[in-house]
Amino acid sequence: MTEEVSKVDKVVEIPMTVEIPVGPQHPAVHEPILIKVYAEGEYVVKAEAYTGYNHRGIEKLAEKKSFYQDIFLCGRVCGICNAVHADCYVRALEHILDKEPPPRAKYLRTLVMELERLHSHMLILAVTAEIVGFDTLFMHMMRDRELIMKAKEIVTGNRVLADYIMVGGVRRDLNTEKIDKLKKILAKVEPRIRHYWRVFEEDVTLNKRLVDVGRLTPAQVTSHGLLGPVARASGIATDSRYHDAYDAYAEVPFRIVTRREGDCMARSLVRFEEMQVSLEICRYILNHLPGGEAVPDERRLPRRFPEGEAFTTVEAPRGELTYYVMSKGGVNPYRVKIRTPSYNNVINTVPFYVGHTIADVPAILASYDPCISCMERVTVIDSRRGIRRKVSMRDLARGEA
Amino acid sequence: MAKVPLLKEVVKLIFSKPATIQYPREETPVEPDARGRQYADLSKCIGCSLCMIECPPKAIRMEKIPEGYEVPKRNARKIYPVVDYFKCIYCYRCVTVCPTKAYVVTNEYRLASDAPVNSRELSLSTLKKAGQEPSQGKEGVNRR
Amino acid sequence: MSSDPLEIPDVLKPIENLLKGVAIMKPGRVVALLESSDVVKAYVALKARYGETGLYFSTLVATDLKEEGKIRIDYYINVLEKNQYVVLRTHVPRDDPRIESLLKEAPAALPGECEAYDLLGVIFEGNPHLRRAFFVPEEVAGKGIFPLRKDAGV
Repeated sequence: MTEEVSKVDKVVEIPMTVEIPVGPQHPAVHEPILIKVYAEGEYVVKAEAYTGYNHRGIEKLAEKKSFYQDIFLCGRVCGICNAVHADCYVRALEHILDKEPPPRAKYLRTLVMELERLHSHMLILAVTAEIVGFDTLFMHMMRDRELIMKAKEIVTGNRVLADYIMVGGVRRDLNTEKIDKLKKILAKVEPRIRHYWRVFEEDVTLNKRLVDVGRLTPAQVTSHGLLGPVARASGIATDSRYHDAYDAYAEVPFRIVTRREGDCMARSLVRFEEMQVSLEICRYILNHLPGGEAVPDERRLPRRFPEGEAFTTVEAPRGELTYYVMSKGGVNPYRVKIRTPSYNNVINTVPFYVGHTIADVPAILASYDPCISCMERVTVIDSRRGIRRKVSMRDLARGEA
Repeated sequence: MAKVPLLKEVVKLIFSKPATIQYPREETPVEPDARGRQYADLSKCIGCSLCMIECPPKAIRMEKIPEGYEVPKRNARKIYPVVDYFKCIYCYRCVTVCPTKAYVVTNEYRLASDAPVNSRELSLSTLKKAGQEPSQGKEGVNRR
Repeated sequence: MSSDPLEIPDVLKPIENLLKGVAIMKPGRVVALLESSDVVKAYVALKARYGETGLYFSTLVATDLKEEGKIRIDYYINVLEKNQYVVLRTHVPRDDPRIESLLKEAPAALPGECEAYDLLGVIFEGNPHLRRAFFVPEEVAGKGIFPLRKDAGV
């Protein structure tokens, strides 16, 4: 710093620290979080997380509504993984009732959950590409994702919110005509996914931005409780579909996908391979659907539940999702606790941003797969000049902040 | 290198039709059994109020059937469900718990409106009005 | 030591001496009943037995048992090696809900503990990040209400 002549006897050096809130303002998000990143020059020195923008009064509300109304409530906790939420909750109810769904229903539930995994992974990979600057790939992937949404509409009746799962089975059945349509859609989607996989592996820009960025060791993963593709990309072979083998996962061709590197590129590649596994599972299900009934008569289901508690886990696209349901008899549950994977993945990884550049922060955050389409606006506070500027996440990621 | 296929694809897309559906000039392709607007067929409704009790967002209210309509004998209390379409989440819980399968389902997805809408008109149109035939009839496909 | 008819399952052998009782939660989760002061010791013992990468801390569930005057806290741990979930169940009194924080041993417990404090008022001693309005909106937190308690009135 230059010294003023004569008048001052000491100079205080203020490093240019910029406080950058990587924050969400969008109310439609499941787990919005404000990550305050303190940066010196280009490197992050400290990061803090602030939450509470979209508090889930859901757990309190669930205690006021009946068990069946809560199925629809829990299915609306997340827009992207709504079938897995409903499935986890309904399986907890079935454990309390000691009831098992028929095999055909189990296969159909698995089908919908795997379709959801497909479109959720396509979304986050497209967003990852967009954040590092590859807009074209984002547009292409979203166009192909529409095919999966159509498939979901054929099965459940709605593109996004599949109110499909009910205690004792599912709410609709498939006939041969629908199965043929679904097979055609899957045949169209598969070569596209392989094409995007090749792009991710070979493209120069993506490699430069994603390889060696945001590395996590296996010890960091387990001690901080990270889940899903984030954990699997660091070598920890944990997958609820293997641990719990719920629904039809014990019978379909399923394998856990892991990688050793633990950086952002490894997480993206794990997601691609999981999409491949999902396609195989969907195709197997469509070819091997067992016969029998799948739809329970909702008018005959018990209104009062016995006392009991259950803890179920499910492999959501983002990681392991757990539900705890406690019933003290009666029509309403006593306690419903939802622990979503983004809860662990996003809040616990805040200390790991230190040492990276600011432009890496959005790329790393996208690789943890939070519901990120909300985090559009970032405020850059230039502390020296005292100016606040609004900058979009994409500009931040491209270094134009 | 992957660069070449991307370039080829981009060039191909410049000369082809955009992937966006040009609504409202084109219709969006919706499945015939997609979950759209639903309403009660009062010639089957018995006024048991189960749909009102079970509705998760409490979008259904039971109202008295107004004068001048021929109410079937099975509806002793002469009440019928009115669905508030702004609160409804289209989960079809009402459709599946109805003991007489009285709900008519459609795949009507164009539900945006600037004034509050409910199912009063649609439901009442399924009843005879003192000498007239049911005006609108059942526009949907009764699925179950 | 427990004198109940269930024998100690294999996965709980490292913490045999701390157990007050054993139960099974559907669908097959092993529940270990402990004193609230023993939870950290139990976690350390399990971690020593299964290794750093052999288990991870999954969920923290706190339930308000108003009639019994207690708040029940469950710690769910996924033991990867045995492919089984272990639940450490403990109770704290409702009018003085204090328990030692698990943060040093399991950083993964951070959001669970912050949420339990914000929603139910359980104080985890040793956790520097506890604060109100972590999840709960300001209007409710400002009045000192713990929303998930049965007498909260929200």
